[in-house]
Amino acid sequence: MAALAAQPPPTTIPEMWDAWCARCHAQDGSGKVIEPTIVVEPMDFTDCRVASPEPDADWELAINAGGPAVGLSAEMPGFGDSITAEQTRGFVAHLRGFCRETGWPHGNTNFPRPIFTEKAFPENEVVILPAVSHRSTLNDVNLVAVYERRFGKRSMWEVALPMASHATTGTARRQGIGDVEVAIKHVLLARADSPAILSAGFEVALPTGSAVRNLGRGTTMFEPYLAAGTVIGSTYLQAQAKVELPADRAKASRAFVYNLYAGRDLSGSPDTWTFGVELNGENNELAFTPQLRKGLTRTGALGAAVGVRIPITGRREQGTRLVSYLLWEYLEPVRARR
Amino acid sequence: MGISRTGSRAALTVALFVGCSCAATQAGAQSGSVTGRVTTKAAGARPLRVTIDQRVCGTELPDEAIVAGAAGQLANAVVTLVGVKADAAAPNGMILNEKCRFAPRVQIVRPHAAITTSSTDPILHTTNAQIDGGKVLFNVAVPVPGIKIKKAVAGAGLVRLSCNTHPWMRGWMVVTDEATAITGADGRFTLSGVPPGIYELRVWHESLKGAAQRVTVVAGQPVSVHFDVK
Repeated sequence: MAALAAQPPPTTIPEMWDAWCARCHAQDGSGKVIEPTIVVEPMDFTDCRVASPEPDADWELAINAGGPAVGLSAEMPGFGDSITAEQTRGFVAHLRGFCRETGWPHGNTNFPRPIFTEKAFPENEVVILPAVSHRSTLNDVNLVAVYERRFGKRSMWEVALPMASHATTGTARRQGIGDVEVAIKHVLLARADSPAILSAGFEVALPTGSAVRNLGRGTTMFEPYLAAGTVIGSTYLQAQAKVELPADRAKASRAFVYNLYAGRDLSGSPDTWTFGVELNGENNELAFTPQLRKGLTRTGALGAAVGVRIPITGRREQGTRLVSYLLWEYLEPVRARR
Repeated sequence: MGISRTGSRAALTVALFVGCSCAATQAGAQSGSVTGRVTTKAAGARPLRVTIDQRVCGTELPDEAIVAGAAGQLANAVVTLVGVKADAAAPNGMILNEKCRFAPRVQIVRPHAAITTSSTDPILHTTNAQIDGGKVLFNVAVPVPGIKIKKAVAGAGLVRLSCNTHPWMRGWMVVTDEATAITGADGRFTLSGVPPGIYELRVWHESLKGAAQRVTVVAGQPVSVHFDVK
């Protein structure tokens, strides 16, 4: 007992980490220990790509309720009955501190993706966006496949492949590839406390779609944009403003596109339902899109959204569109290893 | 992994405590009892060599997978009278992490009973309760001595307890509302207040297996049963 008495109980977060968490997560947060007592190797928190992109709420849930609450290993126990909310937040800050590099945008600015508004936070995602619309003389089925990949601490590139099928009354249905887009995005500002993020992006739409068949615009489009997000109370606000500039103005017009999104989660779990609505504008045309998003796995690595884009002005030109997406965060575990 | 030997100690038998097809007569003021003993010729395992948290756990712990006396009397065997409702409420479950072992090793709890887990050890334990071979019911950290954490178990079945920081730690909760008893260190058990009738009597042990027996309970006359498990 003398040896036990000589070992005072841990009182600070670093002491508690060393006494409790380091058994599996290692003192340095790497998850690599000499004598592992669990089967699933924990995440490496020294890797900033792991420690930075998730919001605090996800980590707090994992610490309090255990791994299964966020779709991860059941070998991670829940500490919620043993520690205070303040200590939970302290552990999250501590584990984020294992990432020694500065400049990584904080996960608290990683807001749920709206359907139209460009997300400011960079992602490693594959997104499939199907859309169906019907107007009095035209019906469309569109599908855009997007691949997004982060690079550096704050940047992302993406390529989008649109496919379209549309028919005007009295004509044969036309289908094919639209204008392929390539883009980069860079986070200009990201603030963890009172979370807010501002990014700048630049898209180039290449004239790969046939303009004759109304599948493309027939000229290269340059599309710089700004995207921003914040959260007020428990409501996410996200916005995007974009200018579309054609290389050949005889073939396409300039346009100003803007989107504004407001939404909120129904719970703190990564697979929560999120309700939102977007205001979507292009020049003088205006529409709104009520939408619903759901994480499809406990980890949130798969997600889906569905909404209806309803014109406010130019009803005949815009038509009503059923819009949706299915996304896969391909570097995240879809579910825990056992 | 903290102990000198590894390898599965999966239970050889899973008694599922399903309803009895026997013609049990549960009514009646008169009742009988079933007493008996469980023995084995299986040898107890050698002590476990501990390499983790030695200042609390020590360097060696008894392997409680088989606890048998010199004459083969087997402790921690669970005997169940199939189809007979227990006549007394079992106390709520208590899972104590004590000197790097679960105490008790085996216990009976009723479905939906409150379970309290605690610890005497100044190190992190986790009480990981898993339906045998399946879903994790709960896994809670028990990081400080004296803390009491309440959980619950739902339906009947066998629940395996483990600790994710001390892999040798093992415990079992037999969740049932049937008449059930656990053998003590002398290998003996008693099931009293049993309505007269013919019953199936099953034995479960985490490492050993024994055949079920048919017993006839007569009011006022104890029935003696012997299980030899392998």
